[in-house]
Amino acid sequence: MAEATASLGPSASGGLYLRTRRWLTHAAIFGTLILAWEIGTRTELLDPLFYPAPSKIITSFWRIYVTQGNIWKHLYVSIGLVLAGFAAGSILGITLGSLVGLNPLVRRFIKPYVIVLEATPRIAVAPLLIAALGFGAQSKIAIIMLVCFFAPFINTLSGVVNVNEEKLELFKSLGASKMQILKKLVLPEAVPVIMAGERLALTAALSGVLVAEFIQRDQGIGALILTYTRNLNMASAFACIFTLTIIGFAIFKGMELMDRYIAFWSHEDGMTRVSQNRNVRWAKQGWAR
Amino acid sequence: MQRHAVRSKASPDQNAPVVSGSGVGKTFASGTVIALEDAGFSVPKGRFNSLVGPSGCGKSTLLRLISGLIEPTSGSLQVHGEEVTKPRQDVAMMFQRATLLEWRTAIENVLLPSEIGGRVTSEDRTRAMELLKLVGLGDFAFSFPAQLSGGMQQRVALARLLQTGADVLLLDEPFGALDEFTRERLNVELLRIVTEIEATTIFVTHNIAEAIFLADEVYVMTPRPGRIAKIIDVPFDRPRELSIQTSPEFNHLVEEARDILGAH
Repeated sequence: MAEATASLGPSASGGLYLRTRRWLTHAAIFGTLILAWEIGTRTELLDPLFYPAPSKIITSFWRIYVTQGNIWKHLYVSIGLVLAGFAAGSILGITLGSLVGLNPLVRRFIKPYVIVLEATPRIAVAPLLIAALGFGAQSKIAIIMLVCFFAPFINTLSGVVNVNEEKLELFKSLGASKMQILKKLVLPEAVPVIMAGERLALTAALSGVLVAEFIQRDQGIGALILTYTRNLNMASAFACIFTLTIIGFAIFKGMELMDRYIAFWSHEDGMTRVSQNRNVRWAKQGWAR
Repeated sequence: MQRHAVRSKASPDQNAPVVSGSGVGKTFASGTVIALEDAGFSVPKGRFNSLVGPSGCGKSTLLRLISGLIEPTSGSLQVHGEEVTKPRQDVAMMFQRATLLEWRTAIENVLLPSEIGGRVTSEDRTRAMELLKLVGLGDFAFSFPAQLSGGMQQRVALARLLQTGADVLLLDEPFGALDEFTRERLNVELLRIVTEIEATTIFVTHNIAEAIFLADEVYVMTPRPGRIAKIIDVPFDRPRELSIQTSPEFNHLVEEARDILGAH
């Protein structure tokens, strides 16, 4: 499950000169775009009502974060919901995924439902959830949980089912119990693919919170964007959207970092680090060399 | 008994077979595929036997039957005089791929059999470290499988095999995925090690020269249905040098095996 951005261009390698030149090119292109946008709105080539000038967006940033500081409480609310819904959805997904994966009988009978669930846009159920749970945090969390349940579920399921046959034979030939096979083989082997599912789930959670807040316009970043748009304060709406861009990027980087720690054996630097730690631990225990 | 250094060192009951079978057969699936038919054999302590033949001759099936991973549909199969019904502590198996756990360091992989057997003791750790040194990986104890070459990974698997403490070793084309040079070197080391620990070894391969080079006795197997067509006795002393492969006697044995396999 490679990230789309990874395939957009060559990796940042090469000498200092090349790297500097590449960055300067990037900066020049970016600057030109921003400048064109600014000029476009000032000359009213672009309707300044819907496409606020970059300078206005920066002013709005300053206002909503510093002078007015009104975005913070919405940020807290939204991020809190994302984390709660993500945690609930992934715990449910991983648990159900392993239960279904480990039981061949259940797996056979649940398959049609998985296919139906996969074909249905999960977000369509959101109004029903609100009807059932009422307005408020619980229905928002339920919506987020719904949109981020599927990836961990399906990835855990496939990780648990696709256990390496030869390794399974090895464990059996060593006389391992079912529990030992689960703990020492099946679950660890599924970790990288579960982590890939978690990454998708967290990204989905961010979209989920926006949908939930678009429907219930009381608070949160989604509600704030709606309010600004309705008041035709597009510069502030853009400032909110760019805030989401930054959060999305932070989530992406954070999950990548977590993957390096949890599924360390799929990363060269992770292996080097853990290898050293284990060596040190072995030495500290005074075990044989 | 001068021919086999190992056999002359064996215990008094050296003639009692460690692994034996009579009329062993295995039919798969709907009963249409006869993987193995009427296999009769007997392997004394410390002996090295090769099973050689093309795909479908039942050599891997026979090995898995001895390991207790699968059960025979007919006949009787015994290890240390006991009927094999499930995997045993005194029988250990090694596969074509190293099947190491990627999230464990080399030493932790070697310790896996001890962990599955119960609590890991300091003797287990000492032994695991000694075994890694024995296979030439003393400096790589804390490396992860992905940081090791294919040959090194198989050495770790070999150390793990020995860590079980089993005296019956079953090897299913253990070096088959490696390049020729690495395979030859590992074969020589394998022979030295199993000779040293007096293990009873059964080695599956589709390479005739490899089968003869390693074994005291070669079971030549033919397909459809899988069966032991001939047992060839190999009269070379252990330890062996790679150079015996150029001797006329060795080539004569290769011819003999090839004739049997070619007739099919």
